[in-house]
Amino acid sequence: MNRKPWILLMAALAAASLAVLASAGLGGRASAPAPGAGSVPQASAAAKTTFPGLVSAEGEPDLAGLRTARPAPGQILEIQGPFDDRILFQDLAFDGQAATGAVRVTSDVSDLLELQVLAGFYDDRGNLLGTARFVHHLGTEGHAHSGPSEEGEEFSIPVPAGLAPHAVSAAVGVPVLVNE
Amino acid sequence: MADFYFRPRLGKDPLMRYVPAALMSDGTPRKIRGIVWIVLGAVLAISLVAYAVFTATRPAPAALQSPAKNVIYLLGDGMGRSHVTAARERYYGAEGRLVMESLPSHGSVSTYSVEKNSGQPGQAGFVPELVTASPAAATAFASGVKTYNTAIGVDAKGVVVPTIMELAKQAGYRTGNVSTAEVTDATPAGQMSHVLARGCQGPDYSADACQDTDVTGDKLPTSDVRVTPIADQIARNGTADVIFGGGMARFDAKDESALKEQGYSILGSVSSRIPATRADLNGASGEKVFGLFNTGNLTLEKAKKDNPDKPQAEEPSLQEMTQKAIELLNQDQSNGKGFYLQVEGALIDKRSHDNDAAQTLDEVKAFDDAVAAALDFAKRDGNTLVIVTADHETGGFNIIEKGSFTNAEAAGPPPNVDFGNSANSSTPTRNGGNFKDEERSTGIINGEGSEDPKNFGPATFRTPNDPSDVKDGSKEASLWLSYASGNHTGADVPIYAYGPGAEQLQGSVDNTDLFDIVGQALRVLR
Repeated sequence: MNRKPWILLMAALAAASLAVLASAGLGGRASAPAPGAGSVPQASAAAKTTFPGLVSAEGEPDLAGLRTARPAPGQILEIQGPFDDRILFQDLAFDGQAATGAVRVTSDVSDLLELQVLAGFYDDRGNLLGTARFVHHLGTEGHAHSGPSEEGEEFSIPVPAGLAPHAVSAAVGVPVLVNE
Repeated sequence: MADFYFRPRLGKDPLMRYVPAALMSDGTPRKIRGIVWIVLGAVLAISLVAYAVFTATRPAPAALQSPAKNVIYLLGDGMGRSHVTAARERYYGAEGRLVMESLPSHGSVSTYSVEKNSGQPGQAGFVPELVTASPAAATAFASGVKTYNTAIGVDAKGVVVPTIMELAKQAGYRTGNVSTAEVTDATPAGQMSHVLARGCQGPDYSADACQDTDVTGDKLPTSDVRVTPIADQIARNGTADVIFGGGMARFDAKDESALKEQGYSILGSVSSRIPATRADLNGASGEKVFGLFNTGNLTLEKAKKDNPDKPQAEEPSLQEMTQKAIELLNQDQSNGKGFYLQVEGALIDKRSHDNDAAQTLDEVKAFDDAVAAALDFAKRDGNTLVIVTADHETGGFNIIEKGSFTNAEAAGPPPNVDFGNSANSSTPTRNGGNFKDEERSTGIINGEGSEDPKNFGPATFRTPNDPSDVKDGSKEASLWLSYASGNHTGADVPIYAYGPGAEQLQGSVDNTDLFDIVGQALRVLR
């Protein structure tokens, strides 16, 4: 039996197979997927998900001014925070049990998404005893209104147990605010 | 078949039937057959290889027929169809056109989002949310997936999805992100960050603002990008070469250092909380520029005009920021790639939330001026795709007939009753009551009724078609505007396009389709 045609045919078929494979591989790359079906090359590399040098947060945000404030007995002070140009504190009071008042957002108030009021409590020599915070998080309460209330977001931050006998003054500031 | 291929017989084998008899005569038939087989095999192989190469290199029939070198994507936050119509009539008259309306391709975009943990459309567990919010809308057009209303850069199950801007950057394009909002706000953040909750903006992490255990089950470690404040991400991921907008209060000195280490020129001073100014913008140069012009959102155009002596009047307009961004991004590039620029007119939405028609219209006009800057460049460049659209409609903004009144002003809804024609039976049946209630409507809200905080009256504006003595806020003004809501609506939004690939935006598309269209135009999707 003459083997040459066999060999030649097998070579041709192999070449054809390679060609078809090349067509499928290369041709598929160039074809345009239908809307909604676009495939994403090297997606994980495109989205940066690690940030060398960025120290991960530990705990909730702080306000450095709480450590230098020296409120007099019975007094409640406002502490500097990153959003002071868009809020007003109203009706601040400290009665020995809690720091109370309201935060009125003064700009772009179609919705109040996030608000934290951080309170520091002090002894009669002005030493910081400890802190506590009030948190507003849109979505954890009913949303029957559009935007923040006209009167501002009222808060009451009780003195933590254990500090109450010694806390005679307070200071408050806003480390977290997201409004739109 | 085997006999046909390997033992061809003269007169019976169709392949060999017309071979001259001389070639099949004695002495050399095997050699000749061998040569014939070699030639046939070679021809077949070459043909197939040629076909493969041809199909691999020819343009695909749709988007890749005309890829763009640059894409400028402009978004009017909250800008619905009526916003466009009202602004056109207000500034150019009934017969006029906004610049965006002069773009040749017009269409509409569906904007719905999904609930947390939903599947994608067509997948199991798909639960649509008919009215979207900016974060979900931004994720849809930036990453091509539906997600829940507070998510940015993650799908409805919390999985990180890459954005067009990230893919463009990876592919060697220059990238820019411009907004009149804080740059950590949903629309700009949607291109350059990934968080479970839109409130995770910074400068500091807080669990309530950043975590979402409804999606993740347990709280994520604070090293996870999805709970890393957006400002921290923007300052470190280098996704956008040019960043202009507001939100300086979101960034701190460490962020400023991180930006400088990557080669950004900082306009103003982040660490000293000194916002950049128009003069800083005009003097900006370099490949990477970071300019924030307000600690929060930028100032409304009307407020700047009314208060020319205030520091906020030194903020650049959206048009100025757009022009500068284009100038910086269009600098010569050694790799021959173009740029991708996103521009957001954010304050249309914010004023619409507040049902403030006068400033809503001014912000639509300011946005349209930015469109003009983009279109002007695109026409000169000749290879730039310009897309103008919105993320959702805000306010149920509408144009009502001059001298009429809205349901909100009425004592009751319109009558719905058909006397004597049972074929038209009405449900529910209502008799009268559709008259203007003087308690609910105390006059035109930007005119005689402006002092009443509970007034549902319309706002009225003169147009260029009105006689010259007609004033805004009067009954004689021809443009009467009202709002149905203080929130977003589920209406489709308009889309306009110019340049290579613009024809794909004729008709109706979904907001996730924009990811594919832009991605294919830039050749960053396969």
